[in-house]
Amino acid sequence: MIFTNSYAANSWDSVAKSQEKGFFDFEFITWMAWTWQTAAFFLFIVLCFIVMIIWEKKKPGGSPRKGILGLDTTRGDRLFISLLSSAYIHLGWLGLIGPMLWIATIISFIFAIFVFRFV
Amino acid sequence: MNKTVNQKAWFFVIPVFVLVAFNAIIPLMTVVNYAFQETFGNNQFMWEGTRWFKQILVSERFHAALGRQVLFTLIILVIQIPLGIFIALNMPKEGIGVPICLVLMSMPLLIPWNVVGAMWNIFALPDIGFLGHSLNAMGFDYNFTQQSGDAWFTTILMDVWHWTSLVVLLSYAGLRSIQPAYYQAAEIDGATRWAVFRHIELPKMKKVLTIAILLRFMDSFMIYTEPFVLTGGGPGNATAFLSIDLVKMALGQFDLGPAAAMSLIYFFIVLTVCWVFYNLMMRNESKS
Repeated sequence: MIFTNSYAANSWDSVAKSQEKGFFDFEFITWMAWTWQTAAFFLFIVLCFIVMIIWEKKKPGGSPRKGILGLDTTRGDRLFISLLSSAYIHLGWLGLIGPMLWIATIISFIFAIFVFRFV
Repeated sequence: MNKTVNQKAWFFVIPVFVLVAFNAIIPLMTVVNYAFQETFGNNQFMWEGTRWFKQILVSERFHAALGRQVLFTLIILVIQIPLGIFIALNMPKEGIGVPICLVLMSMPLLIPWNVVGAMWNIFALPDIGFLGHSLNAMGFDYNFTQQSGDAWFTTILMDVWHWTSLVVLLSYAGLRSIQPAYYQAAEIDGATRWAVFRHIELPKMKKVLTIAILLRFMDSFMIYTEPFVLTGGGPGNATAFLSIDLVKMALGQFDLGPAAAMSLIYFFIVLTVCWVFYNLMMRNESKS
């Protein structure tokens, strides 16, 4: 609360004036602090789910198999492993190397292809 | 036989989906958004990119909190799982002792977390608490508010007191489901007590023990209320486990960005461990 008020105090000229609203100015979700980057990330995840649903419609059953880890996996498991390991690849890159994060993204995609083929 | 396709059943999923959306998906999305931005409140955010993740990954404070958390969870598992099995093996199998033991065992589980913390705080106070005063009277230099070793000892003792019963109850349920025929066969073969445990009881308890370890791991890895009430993370940062440190960062310092990045890393660790346990359980299922 303190932070909110002190921050608001530095713009006295806006006090008691109704805020001008743009068309996409949804006040009720400003606390969610959306950015186009994070929105794109979540859209990518949703896209993955949609692709998985279409894939499942085309070839039902989820193509279960025992992969190189000795685990019984389906397509969904392989997507989960790919996404989780891509998180670790990105974090590892940030922690150990730092710049040029897009290389980590490429590694993640290659790793995902590997997971979908062999795990 | 042809199954009729009726996708209307999906409507029954909607309430759950709405519930999960509001208590998990939307907050998680918000945390992801916060992790890439800086804010001073008033819903104004500035893009920071991956800065907070870099900062957390190399931060000694995070490493120390994570180290303490892992150590705590390991100690908890190493004490509680064998102790729980041992108590379950020695509980009466019939007669009036069964309900008495079961009620006694479930009692600590019924007490709210913050009450447990408050109880143990008073219990362990070095001047007036029964535990603290007795230890000092016996000649130990015990003061959990000032010595980190004592704080750890008290926190672990408290958790063992609170949660060993869960392992006991699960193991006891596993033991009771073993057919008497196995014991009779072991007796005919002249098996020792250890052999009976190793080759009959332990394999039969495997499923419930996996669940017990998973539950104890999860609860101790996200432990917040009890150490918060007991020690408040102190003395210094000696018992500031991950969640306590996280709340300090998010609410104490109002560093929402770094705290969000830290909680995402925390989340990935928990997710990985859950996935491993899930696969272990599934493997047990398919074998038996």
